[in-house]
Amino acid sequence: MKKLFALLLALVMVLSMTACGGGRTESAPAATTPAAPADSGNAAAPAAPAAAGGFEAGATIGVSLPWLGTQNWKEAEEMFKTELEAAGFKPIIQAADNKVPTQQQQIESMIQNGAKVIVVGPIDGTQLGAVLEEAKAAGVYVIGYDRLLENTTGVDGVVQFGSVKTGELQAQALLDGLKEMKGEGPWNIELFGGGPADPNAPNFFKGAMSVLQPLIDDGTLTVVSGQTDFTQCATMDWDNSKAQARMDSLLSGFYSDKEIHGVLSPNDGIARAIITSCEQAGQEIPAISGLDAENESVEWVWSGRQYSTIAKPTDALVAQTIEIIKSLQAGNGMPATDVQVNNGKIDVLVYELPPVVVTKDNAKEVFANDPGRLALLK
Amino acid sequence: MEDSIILQMREIVKEFPGVRALDGVTLEVRRGEIHSICGENGAGKSTLMKVLSGVYPYGSYEGQIFYMGEEAKFKNIKESENAGIVIIHQELTMIPELSITENIFMGNEIVKHGLIDWEEARHRTMELMERVGLNLNPNTLIKNLGVGQQQLVEIAKALSKNVKLLILDEPTSALNEADSANLLELMRGLKSKGITCIMISHKLNEIAAISDAVTVIRDGRTVETYPVEAGHVDEDRIISSMVGRAIENRYPPHESHPGEIIFEVSDWCVEDPNVPGRMVCKNSEFHVRAGEVVGFAGLMGAGRTELMRSIFGHNYGVFHGGTVKMKGQELSLPSVSAAIEAGIAYVPEDRKNLGLNLLDSIRMTIVSANLKAILRGRLLDSDKELQAAEQSRKALRVKTSSVDAGVTTLSGGNQQKVVLGKWMFTEPEVLILDEPTRGIDVGAKYEIYRLIHEMADQGKAVILVSSELPELLGMSDRIYTICEGSITGVIDSKDADQEKLMRLMTTTSDTKS
Amino acid sequence: MNKIKKVLGDDLHKYTMVIALIALIVFFNIASGGKMITPSNFQNLLSGNAYVLILAIGMLMVIVIGQIDLSVGSVAGFCGMVMAIAFQKWNFPWWAAVLLGMGIGVLVGAWNGFWVAKMGIPGFITTLGSMMIFRGAVIWISHSISVPAPSELKWFGAGHLPEWGPAFTGMNNSTLLLGIFAIAFVIYAQLRQHARVNELHTNKDPLWPVVIRIVLGTGVIGYLTWLFGTGRPGTSFPIPGLILVVLVMIYHTITQKTRFGRHIYAVGGNKNAAALSGVNVQKTYFLTMLNMSFLAALAGIMFVGRSTAAGPSDGTSWEMDAIASVYIGGAAVSGGVGTIMATMVGGMMMAVLNSGLMLLGVGADKTQVIKGLVLMAAVAFDVYNKRPGHVSITKRLFNMSSAENKEGSPADKKS
Repeated sequence: MKKLFALLLALVMVLSMTACGGGRTESAPAATTPAAPADSGNAAAPAAPAAAGGFEAGATIGVSLPWLGTQNWKEAEEMFKTELEAAGFKPIIQAADNKVPTQQQQIESMIQNGAKVIVVGPIDGTQLGAVLEEAKAAGVYVIGYDRLLENTTGVDGVVQFGSVKTGELQAQALLDGLKEMKGEGPWNIELFGGGPADPNAPNFFKGAMSVLQPLIDDGTLTVVSGQTDFTQCATMDWDNSKAQARMDSLLSGFYSDKEIHGVLSPNDGIARAIITSCEQAGQEIPAISGLDAENESVEWVWSGRQYSTIAKPTDALVAQTIEIIKSLQAGNGMPATDVQVNNGKIDVLVYELPPVVVTKDNAKEVFANDPGRLALLK
Repeated sequence: MEDSIILQMREIVKEFPGVRALDGVTLEVRRGEIHSICGENGAGKSTLMKVLSGVYPYGSYEGQIFYMGEEAKFKNIKESENAGIVIIHQELTMIPELSITENIFMGNEIVKHGLIDWEEARHRTMELMERVGLNLNPNTLIKNLGVGQQQLVEIAKALSKNVKLLILDEPTSALNEADSANLLELMRGLKSKGITCIMISHKLNEIAAISDAVTVIRDGRTVETYPVEAGHVDEDRIISSMVGRAIENRYPPHESHPGEIIFEVSDWCVEDPNVPGRMVCKNSEFHVRAGEVVGFAGLMGAGRTELMRSIFGHNYGVFHGGTVKMKGQELSLPSVSAAIEAGIAYVPEDRKNLGLNLLDSIRMTIVSANLKAILRGRLLDSDKELQAAEQSRKALRVKTSSVDAGVTTLSGGNQQKVVLGKWMFTEPEVLILDEPTRGIDVGAKYEIYRLIHEMADQGKAVILVSSELPELLGMSDRIYTICEGSITGVIDSKDADQEKLMRLMTTTSDTKS
Repeated sequence: MNKIKKVLGDDLHKYTMVIALIALIVFFNIASGGKMITPSNFQNLLSGNAYVLILAIGMLMVIVIGQIDLSVGSVAGFCGMVMAIAFQKWNFPWWAAVLLGMGIGVLVGAWNGFWVAKMGIPGFITTLGSMMIFRGAVIWISHSISVPAPSELKWFGAGHLPEWGPAFTGMNNSTLLLGIFAIAFVIYAQLRQHARVNELHTNKDPLWPVVIRIVLGTGVIGYLTWLFGTGRPGTSFPIPGLILVVLVMIYHTITQKTRFGRHIYAVGGNKNAAALSGVNVQKTYFLTMLNMSFLAALAGIMFVGRSTAAGPSDGTSWEMDAIASVYIGGAAVSGGVGTIMATMVGGMMMAVLNSGLMLLGVGADKTQVIKGLVLMAAVAFDVYNKRPGHVSITKRLFNMSSAENKEGSPADKKS
């Protein structure tokens, strides 16, 4: 009896204590909010126009990543942690296990935790609209990382490698590989796309096709399966096993009496899956493109199994992101850039970085400043 | 003479908590005969066989068993089987998804080099099936066989164990007539090959047809045992031995005042849903008057429950035709809820599996068949529910501290009262009670009887299905007898006695009166 | 002790999980330095989990009838996608697209219900099939590409009640009004019940427990009103939360107060006994499965509203979250046991864990591990408490011996 009353009493006390911290005054950070472009619809939202407010040096910075299942994300997580800490910020870095609802909740909890800037590597760039607008309304800067944030007003800028450009480079690398490895054309090739939920994937494909389509039209290249549409070639969730299964069925369906010469692959994991599939089917390894310069693919490029990959140095991306955060902290707003992309709702500032094609020939010089990868080149 | 006796059970006593199931049974079976054991439901026949086969191990009973001249002390079924004693139970125990071969050698596999030798097993199965007159592929799955064929596979399995004494517990209870005849023929054949059979049955015509000796058990005691000549058995002698018991004054005095006929069933035909072609109700016809208690007598498997459940909204079996009239009006009863609506209530025999939701409280159980009565608007009213439950509790004198208590907290008798209360709350015109006093103590029985009389006095028609003949004689105004799906007779209970009933319950030859 | 029972009812056991939930919230609040109990976090808790809790409502009913529905995630994703495509590509007005999505949900429910009720195929198998069918269908119709949703829907998935009226209240006046309605309802319901008890029973109930209940109810609702109402201007008690509360009230009434609700429990408790009591078992199965998919469609559409786009992998593994909520809420795998309210508490346990661990910066990986352990612990605790011969932990907490309980509980109801 007494215990229960004591319990209830304690409870009431805890609740009322926390209550004292609450109240409408809590929306103080609104004062430092950047100009919220095309206000999110909340009539009473604090659209304080003080664009160059800045914030304190030791502020909390949230970084929401899609998952840690591939090397580039794991690297990003580590680099953000060390470099944000080095710059004096307090980072909260979370990965959402590739689940959209989890990522939404994680971003909300970062707002709760008083983050001034939230860096978002989205699982699906279109599905965070309401949450990001909420962040905006709470006066938080939102920076897209590696992928475009679409269909929302809640984004200030995006840092990414030019994705159309990446696609062009992939296609060019594929053509170089064909010439080098397979002699004179015409060549038989197959096309693979990335995860359709990732806004970059169609752009990679688009960029690649801008190079390949004329050659397909003039007969230099033959896509034996006839599958040249992005939706036909896409790989759900960038899942390697799905790509491998598709390659297996392509080989058994179309290449029982033909040789495959080249494959357009959107990233390294998928490239390795395709190579494995070809080896198992008794085909010679085709010329192939890749992306991300994952450790294993760097080794494969070095040993000649995979023709090329593209380095999108995570450190450059992270460095650019942190530069923006520092500029915001100092009260200088978003740095200037000449690229703007419409995301379906607004024009977003885009900070594009150039990717680098890696083949066996230039690997050593590309990774000269990357001791981890350099060590693989033996 | 002594070595012609294969089995001797002397003064077997087996007690369960509060019940003396066997009270000094003696049984003597000669080598190579078909020995029938008869007795009412609950007389102790099955218990005796479980003692014999080691289901109740040596030491858990008193008395001695001599088998093949030596004292037998079986600790489990395996030991009795090794000695050549095999029981075939009423419920078949084979695995439907396995083949005939796999079932026959289940637990007794032919192993060569650590692996099962299926070729040998199939070969042996063919031989065994030939002995029981089955001509089937040994790979056939059991579920694809008819019940009669399954029975034969059971016997083949017994033969595979080198059986010397085969015990069949009500072997024909689930079979149709052709299969039954076939089985009896097979038993004659086994006998000619020197296998001794003990058959438990209450079908007197079958006993009369094939027995060499009969033992009658009543209330856990051997009443008499004597040799007979197959085909010339005095059925009357068996019947009087089976029921020879004085009716004690266990029933409250009651004077009935039957009124008009309010419930009539005619030409009711229902087929067993599991055994195609076996009719569980054959043109059944009966009627009940207002204020009358009508008993239904029949041995287990005779079709009493099946008849009642099929009337109660076609809850059982495949309906083939017949009409039900209430107060002269023909009823359409396509579902249980229609039957309840029409004023019929059915208290099922299996309280725990069919009568109660054991998760419910008393209060939820009472109203569960008539939720309409506690509606207030479109919502259930917990106050009305409470009132109804409290009223029931008082009227039925349910012993509980609160109507919110779970039904599992109640004793069997009180549970049964709650089930009765649930059905009384539907305010029925016709109340069908299926074995309402099974498994409850004498005091609670008396109270249930009193409630039955009360309901009759309120002008309801009460149908009482029971396996206990004294109960039927003590409670009913008239008694219908059922045998193998046919109503074989109706007697005014003033003129009835147990022997007359038992004759009607065991005779199929008489046409319905 | 008896006084507490007079206020809270005889069955104190059902408050165990509520106490655990409050303890968890308080723990996280302290551990995160006061970030748990804030207006915006509570708003997030509701709008971020409303879709799972809505699924859990339907799932509770499915589990009570002794079935399971594995297809809810896929169905939610499918209905959300159909709605988005209808709006985006077929130029439906947004409300017509929503109605279409809900209609598809009902059809899917009828499909599931048909196989379970009429063909007697276990729900596990039927809905495993539907899970694959509709996951495939989402990817098929969307070509694996996310489709933007009507912007009007954002209001359903993440919206707030309007700001209006005087500012001196210091809070969102819509929320304030809701709170006042809720308090008025509690007072009305308590007084009416008291009046009815006294009208029906000769032995009068004293008034003081009613007053205490009203005071407690007013206090809790008032506190929550204040908490939800004093967030950033423009925020209020969230719309998804409001939809959830309305659904909970409707379905609580259906399960506890209607014939259909009783039939659900009867069928789950003992199918044969229910059939012999006049319950149409097939119809009960059918309607319960139908309702589940209807709620899945609603949850899917609300989620799309919050996400502003329908994605091809929406709904993946939501069924597991819903099922976990139901079991943490004390439902039985064998059916027949469980309530909507307890399920909501179970669901909030999961939601609070998610939120609290994120606030503490624990990753999604470790969060999964902890959630799994909590599920096991909650169910084990329930099993332990229900085992006969054990003094339940609630009872220990309330410092009462089991003997006192046996004698006291049934009798003092009447006194």
